[in-house]
Amino acid sequence: MVQRLHWGSTKDPTFLQLPAIPSTDQLNHLPSTVFKIAKMSQHRSHDNINSFNNNSFNTVSYNCTVTDDRAQILTWLSPLEPRLRHKAIQEGQVKNVGEWVLETEEFRGWYAGSGGSESDKAVLFCYGDPGVGKTLIR
Amino acid sequence: MEEKGQALTSYDVSSLVIDNLCDRARGQGTAVACFYFDFAAQKEQSSASMLGAVLKQVVSGLEKVPEGMAQAYEDQKKVIGGREPQLDDIVKMLQTIAGERPTFICIDALDECVAKYRVKLLDSLNQILQRSPGARVFVTGRPHIQAEVENRLSGRVMTIRITPRRNDIISYLHTRLDEDTRPDAMDSSLRADILKKIPQDISEM
Repeated sequence: MVQRLHWGSTKDPTFLQLPAIPSTDQLNHLPSTVFKIAKMSQHRSHDNINSFNNNSFNTVSYNCTVTDDRAQILTWLSPLEPRLRHKAIQEGQVKNVGEWVLETEEFRGWYAGSGGSESDKAVLFCYGDPGVGKTLIR
Repeated sequence: MEEKGQALTSYDVSSLVIDNLCDRARGQGTAVACFYFDFAAQKEQSSASMLGAVLKQVVSGLEKVPEGMAQAYEDQKKVIGGREPQLDDIVKMLQTIAGERPTFICIDALDECVAKYRVKLLDSLNQILQRSPGARVFVTGRPHIQAEVENRLSGRVMTIRITPRRNDIISYLHTRLDEDTRPDAMDSSLRADILKKIPQDISEM
């Protein structure tokens, strides 16, 4: 299918062209009945183009309904986007800094408890005074 | 908030922990949610919008939005102008999901949260942990909120004091020296001196 479309559009530029719509000028030379029908069809074809666009728009939104709802529900839950902030911080992060935290007994115990009730300490609080590092390094 | 020239910030630790948890959670059906408090955003970071953002991350990892939640969303649409999810509802939904799968909630710089929201948030976390003891909460903050965290989450808290260690300082110096915009002023012996002297001075303090 992809190949056919590709072939059609490159080797035969008329392949994808819509049939020409007769101009009003051309139609005026036709006998009256034919004229009316032709004129109607001219009118219709414009309509069709519009309704085609509408339809394709509808189709697109129809296909996305499920995802759209999901996205809307998520936005409704909260307008805040902490993951974007996380990404920004990730980018500016100095490699390896703070890794020792992951090796502490406290962290390991806290993590291990997630499976069951091995540890009743479900909260790990890391505190530090941001001033300390700052004055030492400047 | 973001203080340049600091060897180890709370958000360094938070983002490291979050990345580590996410790596281990991959394909395990484990939920990891993060939140960064910020003095500059105090108005919009209420207890409901914060926990709502946690819930949002947890739900986005589920295959389907829970039916009750989809229904609540439809129902609020009938109210003119809609109705934001209430803290109680958010807590209930988090209790349910955290009871079904391992759930990690990571909160950075809790001291930057408005005091009245912080109280509500800690109480909500306590309610979630009461129902789902397997849920894990990671919090960073300045020392002055330690007592408050321990009181509100009584008996559930373990603490680690974060101070830059020798390796943190060396990693930090390497990165900053590499970023130097005036490389002419630097040569290898000066660089070696800096990397030797500064960590030494710090460990002597």
